[in-house]
This record gives sequence, structure tokens and C-alpha cells, in this order.
Amino acid sequence: MTSREMTAKGGGIWHWLMQDTMDGLRRRRALLGYLFLLPTLLGIFVFTAGPVFISFGLSLFQWNIFKPPDYIGLENFERLLEDRRVIIGLVNTVKFTVMAVCSQVSIGLILALAVHRINRIWLRYYFRTAFFLPLLMSGASVAVFMGYIFHKEFGPLNYYLTLLGIPQIPWLTSSDLVMISIAIISAWRNMGFTFLIFLGGLSNLSQEVLDAADVDGAQGLRRLWSVTIPLLSPQILFATVTGVIGALQVFDEPYIMTRGGPGNASRTLVMVMYEHAFKHIEFGYGSAIAIVVFLMILVMAIVQMWLWRNRVFYQ
Amino acid sequence: MSADKKMSRRDLLKLAGAGSAGLVMSGLPVTVIAQDAVTIKVQTAGLDDNTLQPVADIQMARNPNVNVEWVVLTGIDHEEVAAKILALVAAGESIDVGYAATEACQLFAGQGLAAPLDDLITGDPDQDFWTDFFSDVHPSLVEAMMYEGSLYEPPRDFNAANMYFNTNVLADNGFDVPGPDWTKDDFLEIARGTTKKNDAGTTDIFGYGWTNRLWGSWMPWIFVAGGNLYTEERAPGGEWVWDGYYEGDMAAAGRGGGFRWQVPVANSPEVVEALQLVVDIWKEGVTPDIGMGTGQTLTGFYATGKLAMTPAGGFWAGRLANEGMEKGDFDVQLWPAWRNQKHQFGTGGHWLSNTSTAPDEAWEFMKIEVSHEGFQSSIFFNPVIITTPARRSYSQKDAYETTGPANSDVFYDTLDEHPSTSPIPAPPWSNPMTTIFTTYTGFATSGEMEPQQALDEMQAELESLTNREGRKYYQE
Repeated sequence: MTSREMTAKGGGIWHWLMQDTMDGLRRRRALLGYLFLLPTLLGIFVFTAGPVFISFGLSLFQWNIFKPPDYIGLENFERLLEDRRVIIGLVNTVKFTVMAVCSQVSIGLILALAVHRINRIWLRYYFRTAFFLPLLMSGASVAVFMGYIFHKEFGPLNYYLTLLGIPQIPWLTSSDLVMISIAIISAWRNMGFTFLIFLGGLSNLSQEVLDAADVDGAQGLRRLWSVTIPLLSPQILFATVTGVIGALQVFDEPYIMTRGGPGNASRTLVMVMYEHAFKHIEFGYGSAIAIVVFLMILVMAIVQMWLWRNRVFYQ
Repeated sequence: MSADKKMSRRDLLKLAGAGSAGLVMSGLPVTVIAQDAVTIKVQTAGLDDNTLQPVADIQMARNPNVNVEWVVLTGIDHEEVAAKILALVAAGESIDVGYAATEACQLFAGQGLAAPLDDLITGDPDQDFWTDFFSDVHPSLVEAMMYEGSLYEPPRDFNAANMYFNTNVLADNGFDVPGPDWTKDDFLEIARGTTKKNDAGTTDIFGYGWTNRLWGSWMPWIFVAGGNLYTEERAPGGEWVWDGYYEGDMAAAGRGGGFRWQVPVANSPEVVEALQLVVDIWKEGVTPDIGMGTGQTLTGFYATGKLAMTPAGGFWAGRLANEGMEKGDFDVQLWPAWRNQKHQFGTGGHWLSNTSTAPDEAWEFMKIEVSHEGFQSSIFFNPVIITTPARRSYSQKDAYETTGPANSDVFYDTLDEHPSTSPIPAPPWSNPMTTIFTTYTGFATSGEMEPQQALDEMQAELESLTNREGRKYYQE
């Protein structure tokens, strides 16, 4: 008798679920699985998916929270196409993403390779903790003290550079340098994460493959390039995708250190969104910018997955 | 149930139900008593050293049923705090009493978030309180807290942009603190004369330093050059305060119902000249690179003798004292004259929320804060002044006796002796206006644009913003 027949016969869902058969057991297990997933799914719906859908709706309105929203169709999207600050914010965000992700992935990889070679366990623990610590600090506090360190006239960084005969560098006050400086700071803070991912990946590399590489005479850079990095490709993909997602949402460092300046040189897209939504109380327009950020992240993630589809080797 | 019998799940549920009912019953009397208690939510900047706690203590001592709950909101500058309040309201939270400086007063009033106080003041049976208060507060501070004829905040503090001097740096270079009638040329002479460069050509001691924001910043230069970001007009109304409380006071003559900043004039020749001045001295190395913020960074450099002059108000006296500067190490003077000597100021106070569920108690809190008792206990003014008191009687020389500056008379004289002194431009759309102002200031002071180009583009953006926003807020 099929379950449908059971239900139709009036056994009810409870009976259908509690049936003392392999099917019944599978159903109960599936239900348990869904129950465990439910809190997370609810959280995602309430705190992520729900607000995204609401933002889609809001982007079609002009709304300053104090008066009822006015439906204006796609006007907010038309406006952002002509908004120079949005275009600049987009360009700055992309520039930052490229610089920050490239540096945090490459530096994280180099550090992981170096630490992986250390035989003393305590020393390995020490470096692991040291490189990861910056990630535990809030972005805001990092931005505040980095603001002092990178200060052109009074910062310790320039102080030591001038001792070496290098003239003072306007890290945060030059339009040409400010995004580079922020990318350096961001990479310093976030490389601990990529470092840990790569270190974990290196520890789990297949010994058989490495031994085979040894037998074939692959050493040094050849082994790194042809064996280690391909085997680490799942970790590299993960670090790159999460890094890009995080970098596209950059806000803390530029907002606190430079507030988008000088001029618009470090104004990012999320900062423009924040300014319009919360400082200028234009929630509709802010939502339209948020939709652009969302779509940008989505497209970038899909493009990355597609580009890497034949280059990731899962052991 | 026998002792050896295990408790069933049903028994356990029964017991839990009975226990819960008992707890609810035992809590009932407490709930009944709590119905009389009133909680007001007051915005503050922090709990560790809550500057408003003494005010709350006075109110709670007078009325034990009032409970003050703090809503902590901090920000880099006034517009950010305003943005956080707006975000709080957008999230469905409410506050009964909020703080706003001039930067955000018309913003909250224009959005209908703040309640006009006219009827509360004129209808207050304790008119002696208000007569005393207004007689102690300069009318320009009151006018700066008005919007379209109504008062939205009783001023608690203010800061006029004056010039601070590191007297040691001045003395090392053979300069004295100038007199009140000094000029822009005197300023340039001191700024250039105190700037010290090393062999590599980089500056070790700067003659002048400032930060990019709305208040302070290069705005004082705009005023003394004879310009402004917007035309400065007065809304009609306000007679209830001028005739009712300032009758016969010459300083109140001609005042209206608050300022209207309606027509952008950011690229007028006077404003261009003012920006050119600060850009030129930056290029000379007299001024360090111009960063954003409230000048916290500059305080340290000033205190360590790396800066000779900077714009600041009375709030710097306590701040410098807290940084370890002794009385006599610094002094203050009026802003130098250029085409005129029109000064700028910003004032601050609390506003009453239109959505307050306990407006009487919230209003009582606001009254206590600006009372003599409130001023005498306020951490803002005791033991050192960390912002200039709006009441004249608390801004006298003796208030700065321990910290300095010697010329502390300058703070209130900026209002009393200079009738043209007026607030920084802060229309209801001051937040986006500030973003535009600081952005183009940054373009010019980083060398990315010439002052004329930066101000032309600033003007274009201000015009677009004002066309979009302006008509919503000022009555025709």
C-alpha cells in the first residue's frame, strides 16, 4: 500500500509518518532534518531574504519614513544612472575589490605556505594566532588606529619612512593613494582568514599525490605551481568568492578614515547607499543602490564560479 | 503521588503550570505599582561618563516615579548622530528627548520629528523660570534653534569659531597673542612665522590646522570674506519670544522666526577667495593635509606643540586641559577681520519628540537641564568646561579660572559684541548639504580641483539639492 493510499484511507499524516516501515523511517528522518534546518531557514528568510525582497519593493518608492511612500516606478534607477557619486562609488568599489582580494589571497597563501613548513608546533600555533588576531578586531577600531598610523604628517609610518630618507607619503589625503592605502589596511585585517583556510587546506593535501610528485622529481616552484596550488584550488575559490563578496561591501575603513574623501576618491558604493538611505533619508533611492550592490555581488559570484568551473580539483 | 513513584511528564507539566501561575500572581502587585512609573528615553553619547546623569538624578529625586532610560548614540560628527537618530526612528524605535546641534535642529523640526515648544513655554505657569532663562541667553542662540516661527530647542551650549593659539609656539617665534581687532594679514604673518620646516623641506610645526567639516573648517573664512553657502534670510514669526522675553533688548531687534537658507551662493567671489586662501597656505606647507572629522587628532598635535593656531570654540578649553596643557599654554581670540568680522557659531540643546509617550516628563527633563540647578550640576560645565554654556552667567571668566584661556571673555563677546554673528548654514537638508560641502572642500584641498572649479561644481550640486528638497520645508 502506498502512502497516498494510506492517507486516502483515513490513516492521516501522523499514521503516514509513523508507519513502521523503511519508508516511514525515511520520512521521519527527513522531517527531523527539515526541523533542524527550520531555525536557520527562518533566520535567512527574516533577516536576509525578506529584507532583500522588501528592498526591491522600496526601490520603486520615494520614502523619507516620516511621510507615506510615493510610488515612482523606476525613477530611482534612472536617477542612479545619472548620479556621478554612484558611478564613482562603483568604480572605487571595483578598484578596492581587485586590490584587496588579490593581496589578501596571495599574502594569505604565502604565509600559509611558510607556516606550514614550520615543524615546531608551538611556533605554528603562535603564527596562526598572530595572523588571525587582526580579524577579531572590529573594522571601526582598526580604522581609527590605522587613521593615526597612516596620518601624513604625524603618523608613525611616515615617521619611520622619513628616517629612511623617503618623503612623507599622503596615504589618506591623496586621491591617487587613498584606495591603495585602504586596500592595504583591509588586506592586513582580512588575510588571517585566507591564511587559515589555506593552512587547513595544506594540512589536508593528499600525501599520495605529494609523494608521487616527489617521485616524478617535482620540487620547489614547479611542485608549488603544478601540484600544491591545483590541490588547493577549492580553498582558493572559496577565499576568492568570500573575499569578493566582503570587499564589495566595504564600508568601515573608508567611512571612518576618510569619509569618502578626499573629494570622492574613497567613496564606495555601500557608503553612497548609506548616505542616501540614512543621512539623506531617501530610503527608496538607498534601496535602489542596495539592489545594484546585491546584483553586483550575485553576478560576480556566478562569474567566478563559472570561470573556475574547470580549474577546481576536488580530491 | 507516593514517594517511590517517578514523576510523570503530565505531573511535571502540571507543576510547571502551577508554578508559572504562582509567579505571575506574585508579580501582579509589582505590575500594579509599575503602572504609575513613567520611563522617558533620552539620547546620550555614552554611559561610562554620562554627562546627562546629573540631570536625570535631579528629576528622579523630585519625582521618584520617573525613570530615565538612556539611548546611546555616538557619531564622528553631528550629521552622523542625526543620521543614527533617523535610522532609529526608521527602525520603529522612539526617543522622547533627543540632542541636536544647529546642524540638525531644522532637520528634525522640518521632518516633524521635533515638537515646537512655543505653547509649552508661554503656557508654563512658572514664567519666572523662562524670564530668567531668556535674560541669561543671547537671542542669537535662541533664533538659531527656531524654524518657521517656532522654537524647537532651548539652547544649552554653543560654540563660536574663535582662533586658538599655542602660546609657547607663538612665543618661540616672537609673536604675542593678537588683539581682537587683528586681521587676515596678521593671521598670515603669524601662520607663516610659526611654521617650521626641516632640512628635507617637510613641515615639523604647522602655523595653522583645521579639519574638513561644516562647523569650524574653512567656514569662518567664508563669513569674514563676506560670503556664505546660502543666502541668509529670516522666517517671519517668533514675536512671542522677542516681545515676550526680550523686550527692550537691542540684540533681539530685527530677529525673526528662525533662519531660512534658500538660495545657494557657494561659488560667489567671496567664497572662492576664502577657499583660495586656505588652499594657498596648504600648498605652502603652513597647514597639514586636511582630514575629515571633529579635530580630535589636531588636539593632540596642538597639545604637543606641533600646531600654532586652529579654529575652535569654548569646548577646546576643557579638552586641552584634559590633554595636559596648563593654563597659559594656550589662549583664544576672535576670528581675524577680513572684509568684515562676522563670526559663525553653532548651538546645541535637546528637542522634544513629537512621538513622545510621556511629553510632560520629557519636557520636565529638558527644563531641568537648562535650569540653574542643571547647569550647576552638568558634567559639560563642571569641573571643566567642555562646551561653552549658553547661559551667559556660566560663561564668565571664573568658569575658566583653572583651565584658561586668559581671553575666555571672547566666547560670549563673539555674540554680545558682534551683532552680525550668525549660525552656520543648516537648512532641513543639512545632511546632504554637508556631504556636498565636505566633498568639494576635499577636492580643492587635495589639489584635485582648483577652488573655482570645486565651488562651481559644489554650487551646481547645491542648486540641484535645493530644487529637490528646498520647497518642501520653507513656507512660501
